Amino acid sequence: MFKRILATAVLATALAAGPAAAERLQVAATTTNMAMITQQVGGDHVEVTNMAPPDRDAHYLEARPSMMAALRGADLVVSVGAELEEGWLPAAIRGANNPDVQIGQDGYFEAAAQVELIGQTGHADRARGDVHPAGNPHVYLDPVRMAEVGQALASRLGDLAPEHAEHFYSNADDFQAAVEERLPGWEERVADAPGVLVFHADIDYLVHRLDVPLHGYLEPLPGVPPTARHLRRLVNELADERGVTLFADFQPADGARFIERELGWSYYSLPTQVPVDGDADDYFAVIDELVEAIASPAS
Amino acid sequence: MSRYHAQWRRSALLATGLGGAALLLGSAHAQSPTDEPTVEQGPEPTVSADPGPMQRATASSEQIGAGTLMNPSISVILDGVYGNEFSGHVDDPGGFGMGHSHGHGHDHAHGIEDGFQLRETEIAFEASVDPYFDAFAMLVIEGTDHIDLEEAYFTTRSLPWGLQVKAGRFLSDTGYINSQHPHEWDFVDRPLVSEHLFGDHGIQETGVQLNWLAPTRTYLKFGVETLQGESSGIAPYEGHDHGFDDVSGPRLGTAFAKWGPNLGYNHNAQFGASAGYARAFQKGDIDDEEDAWDGDSWFAGLDAIYRYDAGGYKGQGDWTVQGEYFYRNIEADFYDDGDFEYAGTSKQDGLYLQAVYGIAPRWRTGLRAEALGITNDAFGHDEIEALDTSYRYAANVTFYPSHFSYIRAQVNYSDFAGGAGHGHGHGHDHGEDAWQAMLQYNLSLGAHGAHPF
Repeated sequence: MFKRILATAVLATALAAGPAAAERLQVAATTTNMAMITQQVGGDHVEVTNMAPPDRDAHYLEARPSMMAALRGADLVVSVGAELEEGWLPAAIRGANNPDVQIGQDGYFEAAAQVELIGQTGHADRARGDVHPAGNPHVYLDPVRMAEVGQALASRLGDLAPEHAEHFYSNADDFQAAVEERLPGWEERVADAPGVLVFHADIDYLVHRLDVPLHGYLEPLPGVPPTARHLRRLVNELADERGVTLFADFQPADGARFIERELGWSYYSLPTQVPVDGDADDYFAVIDELVEAIASPAS
Repeated sequence: MSRYHAQWRRSALLATGLGGAALLLGSAHAQSPTDEPTVEQGPEPTVSADPGPMQRATASSEQIGAGTLMNPSISVILDGVYGNEFSGHVDDPGGFGMGHSHGHGHDHAHGIEDGFQLRETEIAFEASVDPYFDAFAMLVIEGTDHIDLEEAYFTTRSLPWGLQVKAGRFLSDTGYINSQHPHEWDFVDRPLVSEHLFGDHGIQETGVQLNWLAPTRTYLKFGVETLQGESSGIAPYEGHDHGFDDVSGPRLGTAFAKWGPNLGYNHNAQFGASAGYARAFQKGDIDDEEDAWDGDSWFAGLDAIYRYDAGGYKGQGDWTVQGEYFYRNIEADFYDDGDFEYAGTSKQDGLYLQAVYGIAPRWRTGLRAEALGITNDAFGHDEIEALDTSYRYAANVTFYPSHFSYIRAQVNYSDFAGGAGHGHGHGHDHGEDAWQAMLQYNLSLGAHGAHPF
C-alpha cells in the first residue's frame, strides 16, 4: 500500500494533478456495461474511463494507443472476461507498463470470473467456430449475474479503497435490489413468449434467465456469419414454430430478414450495451427493450 | 409487415429511467430480510439475494480462458506463397544490391520466387515466467531446412513509473512495421525501404530496450535500445577474421518516440519518430578479393498510421492508412581486392504509403506505393554514384474466413533503377519493368495472442 501511495504521489507531482483526482480510484472499463456497473458501485469514489464503444463487437477490437494510455494510469481494469476481449486487452495491458493491472493482481477484474458461466463446453476445437471453451462470456445481459458482478466489484473496490468499502457494498446492494425488484416483471412479461432466434450466443444469457424457449442461432457456428444453407435449415426446422428474431445492433440484419420473409417472424436489432457514461437506468432500459422484443406477439 | 426497429427506445428509456431512479432511492428499504424478494427463477443457479456482510464473496483476479491451462501457450503459424513473374524479372533495385551476391553466412534470398514456397512456419511460445517477467520466443522455419531464432526475449511486468525493460533477441521498435512478424503484414512482402535499409528481417537484434509510457491522457511512449549490431542493412559486422578491426559490442543504438492522440472511438492514429547509430558498418571481406566497406552508419525516420473503425460487421468499411520514411547514411572506406580505394558517404532513403479498406465483411483490399532511393548516392565500384529511384506498386485482396486464417492475392509492378554494381555501372537508367502475381495462405494454430497496435 505504501508503494501505491508513493507511486501515486510521484505521479501526482509529476503531473501537477489536483488532489481530488488522486483521491478517486482510476478505473479502465473495457465496455460501457462494465463502466456502468463500476460507476454504479464506485459512485463518487471512482473515475471510469471506457475503452470500447457500445455499438461495436468487443470480440473484434484492436489494442489502440488510447487504451494503453487509459490502462497506464489505472488502479483497476474491469473487463467482461472469458476471452471476450482476448483480441486486444492482453496486448493493451502489455503495452501499458502498469504492474497494478496485470492478470492476477488486485487491479485485474473479470466479470466472467465472478459468476457461473453457461456454455462451458470444454471444446477448444476452432472447427466449431470462434468458441469460448471456458464458457460463454456475455454475462452482462443477465441482470442477476450483473448484480453478482456488482457485489464482487464492491469487494474489489473495497480492497483498493478500504475507507469507502461500506459505500461500495451499499451501492452494490442498491443495484441488486433494483434488479430483484424488476425481475418478476420481466418474467411475467415474457411468460407467454413464443421463443427467440438469436444471431450470436450473447443475448441467450437473458433468454436463459427468463426461461424463454431458444430456437437457435443465425450463426451456423460462433463467429461464422450466417450462410444460406444454415438459414434454410433453420427455416425448415422452425416451420411449425412461432417466435421472433433478436440480435445486437452491430450484427447484420440479412439473415433475420430472410427468416422474416420465410417464416413471418419479426426481428429486432437492439443495443446490448448502455450508451457511453450510461447508468443503471440505461442498463435497465437496455434489458427492458430486449424483454419487450422477446415478449412481442409472434406473427 | 410487423418489422420495426427500436424507435421507441427513447421514450421507454425515459419511463424506465424515472422508475429506476425511484427504485434506487427506495431500495434501502428492500434490504430488510423480511421483504427480501427472491431472485431464483432462472434455470441456472445464482447466489442468494444478499449474502450479508459476513458472507461477502471476495472478487477473483483470475482470467477465465482456455490458454491459462497451458504454460507456455504455443502457436504455430503457417505461411505459404505461390509466386509468378509473368512479365519481366525482379532484380535488386539499383544501388541496393550490395552484399547479396557476396555476403557471408546465410545468404538466402527473401524475394518471392516463381512457384510454390513454404515461406515461413512460425512457432511461438509465450508465458509469464513469474510475477516479474513475461517471455516470448519464436522459431521460424524458412522453407524446409533453415531454422532461425526470430525472437527470444523477456519483458518486465512489475517496474514502477511506467517503465519496462525488454531484453534478449527481438525485433526493434524502430518505425512501425519493423516489430511486426510477416503474418501481421497487410501485404505479402516486406516494404522495400525496410528490406533494403535494414535487412531481410528488418532490425532483428540481440540487446536491451528500455521504454517509458508517459502518465499522460494521450499515449506517449519513449524508448532506447542498445543492440549488438548485426543487422545486414544498417549494422553488418565482420570483425578481424575478415580483415576488419574488431569493434566490441554493443555496436548499434536506437531511440524512438510514439504518440497516439485521443481521437474518440472511431479514429485511431499513431505517429512515430526513430533514429539509430551503428559504430561499425563492415561489409564484405577485405582480404578475400571482394569489394568491402568499413565504416559506420546512422538512420532516422518517421512513421504514421491512421485507422478508421466504421463499426461495420467483420471489418466492413474500415480504413487503414500507413506510411514510413527512412533515411540511411553510411560513411565508410571502400576496399577492392584488399586495397583501399576511397572513402565516401552513401546516402539513401525510401518510403512506402499503403491503404487498406474493408470492402465487405471479411474482405479487405489494399494498395501500396513505394519509392526506394529518392536520394540514392550509393557506393559503386569506383566511387559514390548517384542512381535513379526505384518504384514498386502493389494491389491485393484478402479474404479472412476467421480471425485465424486468411488467403491473399497480390499483384506487384516493379519499376527498378538499374544497378550500380560490380563494374557494370549503368548510371541513370532503369532496369526491366516486372509484373509479379502472388497467392498467399496464412493459418494460425493454437493460442495466438493479440497483436499490439
